[in-house]
Amino acid sequence: MKRLDIGRFSNLLTGYTELRLQETRSNGISMVDGTLMGNAKSVSSGVSARSYKHGSWGFASSPEIDHEAIKHVIKASSENALLLDRYEKKGEPDFQTVAAAGEWDFTTNRSLVSQKDRVGFVKDIDDYISKKFTKLSSRTISLGSTDIEKQLLTSAGSKVFSMTPRSMMYVIQTVDSDSGPVELYTVLGGLGQFEDVFIKPSSYFEKLDEIYEHLLNKAEGVFPKAGIRQCVLDADIAGILAHEAIGHTTEADLVRGGSIAADRMGQMVASPLITLTDFAHTCMGETCPVPVHIDDEGTLAEDVTIIEDGVLKSYMHNRESALEFGVKPAGNARGNKFSDEPLIRMRNTAILPGTSKLQDMIQSVEDGYYLLQSSNGQADSTSEFMFGVVLGYEIKNGKIGRALKDVTISGIAFDMMKTVTAVSDNMSWKVGMCGKKQPISVGMGGPAIQCSINIGGK
Amino acid sequence: MAADKKVPEFCVKALLDAGMDQAVCNLAFTRKTELNVEAGNISLLRTTDDVSLSLTGIKEMKKASSSINKIDEESIKKSVQEVVEFVNASETDPANGIAELQPPESFTKGSEKPDVDLMYKRMKSFLAYTTKKYPTLTLEQVILDHSAQHRYYNNSNEVDFKSVRGGYSIMLMFISKKGTDISSFNYIVVAMNDLSDELYNYDGIDRLLAQSVQQVTTENMQGNFVGDVIITPECMGSFVSIITSYLGDYPLITGTSIYKDSLDKLIADEKFTLHSTPISKELTTGYFFTGDGYKVKNSTIIDNGVLKTFLLGLYGSRKTGLEKAVNSGGCYVVDQGDSSFEEMVKSVKKGILLCRFSGGNPSSNGDFSGVAKNSYYIENGKIMYPITETMVSGNLKEMMKNIKSISSERVNNGNSILPWITFSGVSVSGK
Repeated sequence: MKRLDIGRFSNLLTGYTELRLQETRSNGISMVDGTLMGNAKSVSSGVSARSYKHGSWGFASSPEIDHEAIKHVIKASSENALLLDRYEKKGEPDFQTVAAAGEWDFTTNRSLVSQKDRVGFVKDIDDYISKKFTKLSSRTISLGSTDIEKQLLTSAGSKVFSMTPRSMMYVIQTVDSDSGPVELYTVLGGLGQFEDVFIKPSSYFEKLDEIYEHLLNKAEGVFPKAGIRQCVLDADIAGILAHEAIGHTTEADLVRGGSIAADRMGQMVASPLITLTDFAHTCMGETCPVPVHIDDEGTLAEDVTIIEDGVLKSYMHNRESALEFGVKPAGNARGNKFSDEPLIRMRNTAILPGTSKLQDMIQSVEDGYYLLQSSNGQADSTSEFMFGVVLGYEIKNGKIGRALKDVTISGIAFDMMKTVTAVSDNMSWKVGMCGKKQPISVGMGGPAIQCSINIGGK
Repeated sequence: MAADKKVPEFCVKALLDAGMDQAVCNLAFTRKTELNVEAGNISLLRTTDDVSLSLTGIKEMKKASSSINKIDEESIKKSVQEVVEFVNASETDPANGIAELQPPESFTKGSEKPDVDLMYKRMKSFLAYTTKKYPTLTLEQVILDHSAQHRYYNNSNEVDFKSVRGGYSIMLMFISKKGTDISSFNYIVVAMNDLSDELYNYDGIDRLLAQSVQQVTTENMQGNFVGDVIITPECMGSFVSIITSYLGDYPLITGTSIYKDSLDKLIADEKFTLHSTPISKELTTGYFFTGDGYKVKNSTIIDNGVLKTFLLGLYGSRKTGLEKAVNSGGCYVVDQGDSSFEEMVKSVKKGILLCRFSGGNPSSNGDFSGVAKNSYYIENGKIMYPITETMVSGNLKEMMKNIKSISSERVNNGNSILPWITFSGVSVSGK
């Protein structure tokens, strides 16, 4: 996107207004059973403005990014806010805002890789899989990269530039079994452009070997015994649990809507071993998968400690809800596309590591399950959750046993989190997509946790 | 809305001039007007314009695409050059191709212009209605929108289609709360051509709001059993989506579809007939041509239990050697049965009324399991109480053959027309 001097539009921002210019660039390659089926690029850019008038919001957007379009969008958003204010007459006060400014650019410093070489990378991965994993009936590789470039200017004086890229590769392996096809996927990559993330195919061979071995075990898999069982949830599942089942109930818009967390502030909602934080951009000295330094309302982003030692401590806010709840906003308002208004969103939500060793946790389980990888997950305002688990093993007398078929786990998170008896001393992150009106990328992380959980089965 | 037929013609020519053997242009202009409610209060009026221009080129059977949201000459020329670069990076695939010549045609449906005053009036009236009738209910989020779209498909075989569509849609997400007891959230989406009626009068909305209020107090259903499950029309939409997801290009090309060898075979009970009706007058939504450039027809996917068609596009059809479908699916209609909903409940000895299914993606072999949300326990022909922490599981292939009854009543939400269906032999596990 052509860098404009966005500051020159500041005289057009009357009342409370945010002006955002954004370009989203995506590149996708997919190869199915050795055939290149997808090879495409997309670029979507435009300008949007959001205005506030006495408690009513107006928003407008346009795909054009020239002076006239910017003026038009600011005017249209202001008119929408005025129209709604004429109808609603809420008479709310304006926000007290603090300006923040900065630039965060994750553009690669390496030479850009041609599309032919990107396709070559996928072919190398495919060649490795097809030659080595002879029992597969099907294989799919999807390589996708997305760059999101934003410029933000607010009437309060916030001025931001950011370029946040992510590059991901999904690999699905399938084998035939007596009960039909059985598949397992893995997601590789994370923050950064293709050139920084996918340097050489051989770096991923070990991970692919591991998934193939799990898949062969899963093809011989068994159903678990249904009911409440002792389980060790690996980092992938602990991360989705932190995001879906706890995180969403503590977003202030859902709290206002009446979520279970609305009546639990200051109460024990989890084991004292659990501390859960929504990190803005940095966790334990490392950049998080989805770094947010200043959000799309121009608020400086800070970490939010949601649960500390088992006690519910904070909700996540935008400017409006922070004013209503009498707290300071911490930069949780984000929009996905240029044409999306900012909503209260998580950024990088994780349970913090504890002191236990994963191996000791497994050894302490007499009859239970070790659950490693989820497919999808959903949760409720009640904190009742459901996750599909596509990779898991029995634990018998402290040892890993047979693999499991696809299963579902469920429970009430605020009850289940009280059953946690151990938290491992390591953690890992992954990038996921969260769907709440607009799909948006989020970081989910955690250590392994040991708990009692309801597992489906036969 | 600056819709201009010359743009797609220019794009197709530019791709051919750049050396492509075949060229496709998909262009859409969309204008959306949206009124949002958050936690019961009207909060935001949003108007957005966008353009989507997708160019596809094929040269020596190598294919690539580029999409942008601009229609100025400079942007189009840059996009064409990207198609050329990507085609050169692609690989030969004999299945690549474009739609053959069909007579040019234009289609229209619905109204292009929103009535913002009426949107506000209907929303205000709806909020007053719910506050009075359901005081314990909170509308977490309501989005009432009007969307208008001009869409063009042109290719180098001189296919030339245009459609102009407009209509309203409402999405409601809600919970109920009494003291510290809260219900599970529920949601409903309804599409309508106009706003001639109050929002609470559209099919399904009032029934789901009333249920939410009942669901504040739930009971744990004890033990496990195999019994009857009555699936509501709203929930049946999720199951129809799962069934049809096995019929598209990807699962058939990879051979992972549970129905890959089932064409013209019985895959469901004989009472079950499923249509895809993108040009139905009964539904608000729909489409007139596919993304790969074919004028659509309505179709019967499952006829009295027999699978009559897959949902393959041109590429999937060429890749598998199977027949191309006459549409891209969606706009589903299930034929009504001969039992009333009341009779269906009376015939259940032990089972549940499944109103929303929160489930993991089904396995490639059709196994599924998930939580029964907003659902009720049924015993000896009576709906007993709303349940919590209850899981249902089964195999989709087997379940579709175990249909006990289909209701004569159906719900038309503008996107689909579906009945209540009772399935036997489903595993239900309580706490």
